[in-house]
Amino acid sequence: MYQAIVFLPLLGCLIAGLFGRFVGARGAEIVTSALLLVSAALSWFAFVDVGFLGHEARVKLFTWIASGGLKVDWALRIDGLTAVMLVVVTTVSALVHVYSIGYMREDPHRPRFFSYLSLFTFAMLMLVSSDNLVQLFFGWEGVGLMSYLLIGFWYQKPEANAAAIKAFVVNRVGDFGFALGIFAVFALVGSVGFETIFAEAKSLTGKTIHILGGDFDALTVICLLLFLGAMGKSAQFLLHTWLPDAMEGPTPVSALIHAATMVTAGVFMVARLSPLFELAPTALAFVTFIGATTAFFAATVGLVQNDIKRIVAYSTCSQLGYMFVAMGVGAYSVGMFHLFTHAFFKALLFLGAGSVITALHHEQDIRRMGGLRPVLPITYAMMVIGTLSLTGFPLTAGFFSKDAIIEAAYAGHNAFAAYAFWLTLIAAGLTAFYSWRLVFVAFHGRSRADHHVLEHAHESPPVMTVPLGVLALGAIVAGFAAKGIFAGEGMEQFFRESIFSKDGHRIIEEMHHGPFWVTWAPTLMMVVGFAVAYWFYIHDPAIPRELARRNDILYRFLLNKWYFDEIYDFLLVRPVKWLGYTLWKRGDGWLIDGFGPDGVAARVLDVTKNVIRLQTGYLYHYAFVMLVGVAALVSWFLVRGGG
Amino acid sequence: MTALIQDYLPIVVFLAVAAAIGLALMAAPFFVAYKAPDAEKLSAYECGFNAFDDARMKFDVRFYLVAILFIIFDLEVAFLFPWAITLGELGTFGFWSMMVFLAVLTIGFIYEWRKGALEWD
Amino acid sequence: MNLTLPALGPALPEIVILVGALALLFLGAWRGEAARPVVDFGAILLLVLAGAIVVLLPGGTLSTFGGSFLLDPFARFLKILALAGAAAALLMSFDFLRAEKLERYEFGILVLTATAGMLVMISSNDLITLYLGVELMSLSLYVMAAIQRDSVRSTEAGLKYFVLGALSSGMLLYGASLVYGFTGTVGFPGIAAAAKAGSLGLVFGLVFLFAGLAFKVSAVPFHMWTPDVYEGAPTPVTAFFAAAPKVAGIAIFVRVAIDAFPNIVPQWQQIVIFLAIASMVLGAFAAIGQRNIKRLMAYSSIGHVGYTLVGLAAGTPAGVAGVLVYMAIYVAMTLGTFACILAMRRNGEAIEEIDELAGLARTQPMVAFLLGALLFSLAGIPPLAGFFAKFYVFLAAIEARLYALAVIGVVASVVGAYYYLRIVKLMYMDEPKAAFEPMARPLGFVLGITGLFVLLFFVYPAPLVAAAQAAAQSLF
Repeated sequence: MYQAIVFLPLLGCLIAGLFGRFVGARGAEIVTSALLLVSAALSWFAFVDVGFLGHEARVKLFTWIASGGLKVDWALRIDGLTAVMLVVVTTVSALVHVYSIGYMREDPHRPRFFSYLSLFTFAMLMLVSSDNLVQLFFGWEGVGLMSYLLIGFWYQKPEANAAAIKAFVVNRVGDFGFALGIFAVFALVGSVGFETIFAEAKSLTGKTIHILGGDFDALTVICLLLFLGAMGKSAQFLLHTWLPDAMEGPTPVSALIHAATMVTAGVFMVARLSPLFELAPTALAFVTFIGATTAFFAATVGLVQNDIKRIVAYSTCSQLGYMFVAMGVGAYSVGMFHLFTHAFFKALLFLGAGSVITALHHEQDIRRMGGLRPVLPITYAMMVIGTLSLTGFPLTAGFFSKDAIIEAAYAGHNAFAAYAFWLTLIAAGLTAFYSWRLVFVAFHGRSRADHHVLEHAHESPPVMTVPLGVLALGAIVAGFAAKGIFAGEGMEQFFRESIFSKDGHRIIEEMHHGPFWVTWAPTLMMVVGFAVAYWFYIHDPAIPRELARRNDILYRFLLNKWYFDEIYDFLLVRPVKWLGYTLWKRGDGWLIDGFGPDGVAARVLDVTKNVIRLQTGYLYHYAFVMLVGVAALVSWFLVRGGG
Repeated sequence: MTALIQDYLPIVVFLAVAAAIGLALMAAPFFVAYKAPDAEKLSAYECGFNAFDDARMKFDVRFYLVAILFIIFDLEVAFLFPWAITLGELGTFGFWSMMVFLAVLTIGFIYEWRKGALEWD
Repeated sequence: MNLTLPALGPALPEIVILVGALALLFLGAWRGEAARPVVDFGAILLLVLAGAIVVLLPGGTLSTFGGSFLLDPFARFLKILALAGAAAALLMSFDFLRAEKLERYEFGILVLTATAGMLVMISSNDLITLYLGVELMSLSLYVMAAIQRDSVRSTEAGLKYFVLGALSSGMLLYGASLVYGFTGTVGFPGIAAAAKAGSLGLVFGLVFLFAGLAFKVSAVPFHMWTPDVYEGAPTPVTAFFAAAPKVAGIAIFVRVAIDAFPNIVPQWQQIVIFLAIASMVLGAFAAIGQRNIKRLMAYSSIGHVGYTLVGLAAGTPAGVAGVLVYMAIYVAMTLGTFACILAMRRNGEAIEEIDELAGLARTQPMVAFLLGALLFSLAGIPPLAGFFAKFYVFLAAIEARLYALAVIGVVASVVGAYYYLRIVKLMYMDEPKAAFEPMARPLGFVLGITGLFVLLFFVYPAPLVAAAQAAAQSLF
């Protein structure tokens, strides 16, 4: 069964990719979507089987590498953590496949698109079901590659290509750290299998590792390096710049990869490696710090963006920060909870945004929308549901998971827990503001769209709205239904050994006993954010413009995303480009080609010319050369004294 | 090695002395001799009359051919004399060896004859 | 004096060829040009017969003429090679000579006498036999080079070859007399016993002796005649020059070095290394600038002699085996290439410009393919035979710790690959010129055989390599 879950998408990819010509676009769509739906159904079955009936499994497929002490298997490790991810990945992926049939209906390269989507799903499943770090890395890079290919799916667009390259390059930074982390683990433990690593983790405490002339705590170094990989993949503060640009890809891709699944791989990885992170408090504090900072930072940037997909993208970035805060304070299951619910409501928001975009013929700027509610009633309803869930409206999915994180931050014990609490709390307010701003500006008020465009605007077909409906259902009930197993009593029963906590999940206990005001503060923030947004964009639309004008510097600072792209461009991109250009022109072109291939070839011709000139055709020259040869040999032996 | 070179030291001394004397005798007339040139004294003189043409005249290639053919049989004769004198000691083998040699030469001779190498025109 | 008839059996191939040559000459002298078909056919027959006799003579090492003539496995291997090369070259010559109106019955006879000289050289076991063989071969070759009497280039080639050849013979003789003077004997075994390190005079003799031999195989710096003679001589003569005499020259080089001077290896090794490096490097560089394909083949042969000498420089059984394998493969490659050069004819005229091969792949695809294979093989590209030839000699050099020599050899063969590949590029990438005349059947035959040999050598190299190893072992 587990093999089927993982390999059905690969099968779909191969059919659509290699035989797309024969099965046709329609065939590719149906085959891949159908296989994914089967996979999703099996995943739900596995979820119940593993999580509630306790049938954990380890399926060894075959040996991958056996070289000296390094032994790596292809194996599927199915436990509570994996079960959650399987459900998330296959469900969202299946819905996105179906949705894409409608969304991509005019694209001539559909077989390729569906092949990529399925291959991505396969890589992601490989990642979440991996049994060792190397297989994890395989999936990790696989999803990175597919992300690159899908962002650049419309390769005719220069921006799409640039965004794809940016995503790939920024991820290299993180992956470099991740790879170093894996090397360090192998160097210290002598194995890359999770079982062995977790068993050995205890013995690593107190060990040091010697780098750059200093001794550092081994576990801290390993965890920080591994977390660097997570930062890249999950677009955390400092390595976040690729995510907004990745919105150049088709919207279903954004929903699947850049909201629900791939970007959460970092979160999953930290949870999976909780036995290591738990023993490295310094690293956990760092995780908390980065997560909180990202949550706040991305929310502030989201306040002023005008591109409908970018707003949602920054929101994703921010929500990922929340998940890392949960990881950092030791509430792994709570982080997974948010991951779970977030997948539903964020995919819903993205797909809703996609619905708006297709309806308006690829218009993405919310300033040129407005008044769409009567035109797109279903989409509007879906977007409102997604927004309610994201902002944490009571009893929706986001309400349970996000509030749990904020409470966990309050209850957390590490150095940055208080910092994280306040920042996530503020970010909750900001989230409510920018989410409602999106809804109000795009759907309410009077239309600012080109009337020509508006005339052709129409509600999306059922093939797109049905997946929206399913996700909306998830966005509403997922929190309430799954609260028990992620943040309640059923938690230890569900996750068992897959998540490790050195103090026996005390944080989950403490979380529920926070003061009353902590429990309701996020909701209050949500209400405040909603009220401000209503006031700004429904009641008195002149205020935001006035505010922006008065605080011009702050506005620009936020609009330009804290100037990160510019800083990176100045500090990194340009020096590296200069270095590359210099190495190319001077190093390769002048030095290596000049003294290497071209130079050698030219010298050979010079030598040839001189040698040919020796051949004068005169007999006495020839005789002379012979005599010189003999004389030289004789002199040689004369000097050497007979040899 | 040095011993070898030392053996040749007298020759080097000899060469040096010879060169010095030769150069001295060549150089001396320029400084010592009385010079009073006139046309008759500077003209070429050969057995009482001027040279007809360049001494490096061309010979007909047929002379070479005859010369080469002559040399072959000249050497043959030079080879025959010692053989004839010692024939008594050489025995049958010695005798037939020379016969084979002569036969080879004879075939060559027939060839050049048939080719017309012996005819002047 | 006790003179008895020595055993003539071991020298039977030479005797057969010489007696046959005299008979054919007599026939020719008597019948004139009418005898030419008989002479041509007879010459080929005699070469084949001599080869058969070499094979059929009792095995092992045979010696005669007071030990001055030796027929050992080494000599057998090279004699068969030389005879095959001579026969193939003679076979290829007929059509060309007829087209150029150069038919003379003397041509076949000269090939026979030259080949007899080579066989004597290969079997020689003392300095006098050596000189006898060298001169018999050389004198025939001088005449062959000048056989196109009304062509200035041909006569110039013959004259240059003769004058320089005389100079080299003088060196050879001078060296031989020095060696005799310092050892008191002319037989190789005697020289080997008497020659000890430390005698400067002996080393001088060695230098002059090797200089004379190096001229015969055209090793740098005694190579200057090669390009001019190869270009000037009629193409079938060049083909003959490039194949059989090289075999004999290398053979005697190896025999003198290994048999006569085994006790002063470091001394002759220095000379051979010098010759090898100079030949490889000059052969590689000078060939690049050539436009005439016969000149190019001249430099190519100089380079290949350099590679062969690498094997000799190693001075080990493996090295000598490498030399033998190299010579066998080299003869095949050269004959095949010359078969193509001989086939370069248009409107009844021979063509020698490399550029005229442009687009051959489209006009004569099969010829272009086989020539391409031969050129790749000459360049030493695996898995063709030429690669293995180089591989064995370089391997021997490495095993003998001559690392620098091997490295220079590899670098030189990289440079050398350029001009072979340039021809391939011309044939396959450039716009075709007018087609050549169809290939004559004997040329096609030789090209086919040699082409298949270089292409398929790697499939079953064992017989040749085993024979070469056995032959090399007999020298030590």
